[in-house]
Amino acid sequence: MHLKYGLISVDDHIQEPPSLWTDRLSKNRFGDRVPHLERAVDGTERWMVDGQALLNGYPANAGALMADRNREPRCWNDVPSATYLASERLKAMDASGVDYSVLYPSVAGFAGEAFGRLQDPELELACVQAYNDWLIEEWAAASPRFVPQCIVPIWPVEATVEEIRRAVTKGHRGVVFPSLPMHLRSVPHVSGPEYDPVWAICEELGVPVCLHSGASNELQYAPLTGLAPALAEALDAVTKPVSSVFVISLYSFSRVLLRHPRLRIVLAESALSWGMLYMEWADHQFEHDGLAREGYDLKPSEMFHRQCWFTSWFDEVAPFAKYVGTDRILWSTNFPLATSTWPRTRETITRCFQDVSAETREKLLWKNAANLYQL
Amino acid sequence: MKINYGLISADSHAAFERNDFTRRMSASKWGDRIPQVVEVEEKGCRVDRWSVYGVAADNSVCNCPAVMGEPFPTYPKRWDEVPRTAYEPRERLKALDTDGVDAEVLFPNPPGGTFFEFRDAEFELAVVRAYNDTLSEWARASDRYLPVAILPYLSDPQTIAREIERAEAGGHRGVNVLGQMPKSLPHLTDPYWYPVWGVCQELGVPIHFHGSAGLRAGASVRKWDGYTPRQAHSASTATSAVTPAQIIPQLIFSGVTERFPRLKCVFAEAGIGGLNYVLAACDHEWECRHLWTEGIATRPSEAIRRQMYVNFWFEAEGIKLRHDIGIDNIMWESDFPHVASYYPRSWKEVERVLKGVPREDRRKLLYENALRVYRIEATVPEKND
Repeated sequence: MHLKYGLISVDDHIQEPPSLWTDRLSKNRFGDRVPHLERAVDGTERWMVDGQALLNGYPANAGALMADRNREPRCWNDVPSATYLASERLKAMDASGVDYSVLYPSVAGFAGEAFGRLQDPELELACVQAYNDWLIEEWAAASPRFVPQCIVPIWPVEATVEEIRRAVTKGHRGVVFPSLPMHLRSVPHVSGPEYDPVWAICEELGVPVCLHSGASNELQYAPLTGLAPALAEALDAVTKPVSSVFVISLYSFSRVLLRHPRLRIVLAESALSWGMLYMEWADHQFEHDGLAREGYDLKPSEMFHRQCWFTSWFDEVAPFAKYVGTDRILWSTNFPLATSTWPRTRETITRCFQDVSAETREKLLWKNAANLYQL
Repeated sequence: MKINYGLISADSHAAFERNDFTRRMSASKWGDRIPQVVEVEEKGCRVDRWSVYGVAADNSVCNCPAVMGEPFPTYPKRWDEVPRTAYEPRERLKALDTDGVDAEVLFPNPPGGTFFEFRDAEFELAVVRAYNDTLSEWARASDRYLPVAILPYLSDPQTIAREIERAEAGGHRGVNVLGQMPKSLPHLTDPYWYPVWGVCQELGVPIHFHGSAGLRAGASVRKWDGYTPRQAHSASTATSAVTPAQIIPQLIFSGVTERFPRLKCVFAEAGIGGLNYVLAACDHEWECRHLWTEGIATRPSEAIRRQMYVNFWFEAEGIKLRHDIGIDNIMWESDFPHVASYYPRSWKEVERVLKGVPREDRRKLLYENALRVYRIEATVPEKND
C-alpha cells in the first residue's frame, strides 16, 4: 500500500454507464427488462429496470460535480465523466487528496438494494453478476486505488452465498448488503437463522459486510409532498444516516452479531454524532429490561466495539471519538453525491478533526480502513 | 411556585380516575363509547381494562409500575390495585415530596391521547375536552402540575386552535403533538396546521413530541417474531432516540421554524444526544446546498438553539456534551410513574448523571430551563444550589 495523501475514503459511489447491463445481459432472455437508460420526449433520461424507474428518475446522482448542487443531471450528456470513468475519477481523487476509494453503486442502489426489489430472482442475479464483473474489469483493473465491493442477490440464500464467494474470488473486498432485505420483497426476516449462511461466508472469507444507510425508505420520515426538490433532498440526506439506528439496533438485539463474532459490519454513510447516544441508550435499556438474563453475552455497546464501524464525513470527531472508540470510526468523502465534502474535503477534515491527536487522526483517516480492507 | 427541591420533571404522566370521563361526558349522547373501566376475561382471569368507543384496550388499566412496589415492573390487573398516588392529584403531591420533585409536566396515560383512532370527529372533540378538563382540575389542585393538552386532530384547525386557547386558560402549559399526523390528514409540516402553530406561538405554549411520537407507524423496521417481550421492548425503545433526528429536520427544512420563530418544540423521552447529530447534519446540508437560497434564511443550528428542547434522565455521557448540544435547551425528566422512572430515588440518579457538573449548569438543567420554557414564576430560596 502506498499513501500520498493520508486518506482512505471508505464510502464513494461509482456511476454505472448506460451500456453496463445491455452489453452483458442476454437481450433474448430478458428483453427490455434489462437496466437501461430511457429517453423521454423532452430529452431527459432515466434508468429503467423491469418497468421500474431507478435512481429517483435521474440518469446519475452527481450533485457534488454540478454547477448547482441542487440540480442533478437530466440526461447522460450532462453527467460529469469523473462519476463513471475510472481514469477521470483518479484525477478527482488526486484533486481532493484521496489515496484509496471504497466503491458503492448508484443505479444498483446506494445500499445495493435496487435489484432486490425485482420479483424475478433470475433477472436479479444476472443484474448483480454483471455489476460485479464490470466493477472488477473496469475499475479494479484500472488502479489498485479502487477498492471494489460486490452487491448480492437477496434470495434464495444459496444464491447470495454463491455470489459472494464468486465475487470475492474475482477480487471484491467487501459485501454491500441491503440491511433489510425483507423490506424489498417477500423474503425471510434478516434477523432469523435463514440468513446465517450469509454471515458465515463473510466470516469465512474475511470480508466486511457493508450496510449503507438508505437501504429501505421505510426507515425515514417522508417529506411534505410538493416541497422544493432541494429541500426534500436535504431532508432525505439528514434523515438517512440516522436511520441506521434501526439497523444496528436490529443486528444487535436480534443477536446476529452474537451468533457471528467474526462478522465485521460497516455502517456506511451513518455519520458519527448519534453513535454515542445510541450506545448509551441501548446499554441503558439492556440493563433496565434485564436482558443479561436472556442469553446475551455482551451489551450492545460491547457488540459494537467488537465488530462494527461508523462512517463519517461531516461531523466533529473530538466529542465522540473516545466513547465510540477510535478503532471504530472510518472517514469518507461521499463523492460525488450532493452531500459530499467535495471540493472542500481538506477544509472539512481540518474542521472536523479539531482537538484530535495525530495518532487518532491517522487511525480515522486511513489506518482503520487499511486494517479493515487488508490493504 | 416555590422551588423547594430544585428539580422539575419535564415529562411525567398523569393517570386517570375511572370516572374522569363518565362524569364529564353525556351518557345519553355517548353511552358506552365514553372511556371507562370494564371487566374482561384474559387467559381465564377477570381483569380490568380501559374501554374507549366500546373497545377494551389490551394494556394494563394503569401504567404506573413506579408506584406498584416489588417485583418491578408490576402492572395492575384490577382497578382496586391502582394506588391513589397515580391518579389523585393531592395524594400524588406526597409522592413528589418523597422524590424531591418540585413540579411535573403531565403527559397522557391510559386511556391515552390517541382518540382520533376511532375516526369520529365529534366524539374525539368531546373526549379531548373531557381529557383536557380533567388535567385542568389537576392544575387547579396545585401549581406544581403543568399539564400538556391533547388535540382533536379530526376537527378543523380553527377548532383545534380554540381548544388550545380553552385548555391554556384552564391551566395547560403546552400541547402534545403527533410526529406523524393521523392518516388522511395533511403532513405535520403542511400549511394546513399553521393556525395551530400560530396559536401556540402567540400563547407561548410549547408543542411536545413524546417518545416515538407515533413515528413507528411510518419509520420502523418490520417486526421480527424471534424476540421475547423484553427484547422487543429494548429494541424498539432504543430506536426512540432518533425521533428528534427525524422530526426536527422536517420542521426546519419545511419552513415551519422560519414562519414561527417563537414556537417552542420539546422532545420528551427521546434523549438529548440526538441533538448533536441534528445540529451537525442540518448545518452541513444547509451549507453545501445553499439552502438560504431556498427560503431557509436561518442557519439550522441557530433555529434549533432558539426553539428546540430535549430531555434527559440517564445520559451521563450525553450530559458531558451539554455545551455542544446547548445548555439552555436541556431539561430533566422523570417519566413518573412509568417504567423508566427512578422514583423514589430520582436524586440518586440525578447525582450520578450530573457528577462534576458545575452549579450554574446544574440549576439550568434541573429547573431553570423548565421555568423559562413553561413561563413559570417561581421563588427560589438561596439554599437551592
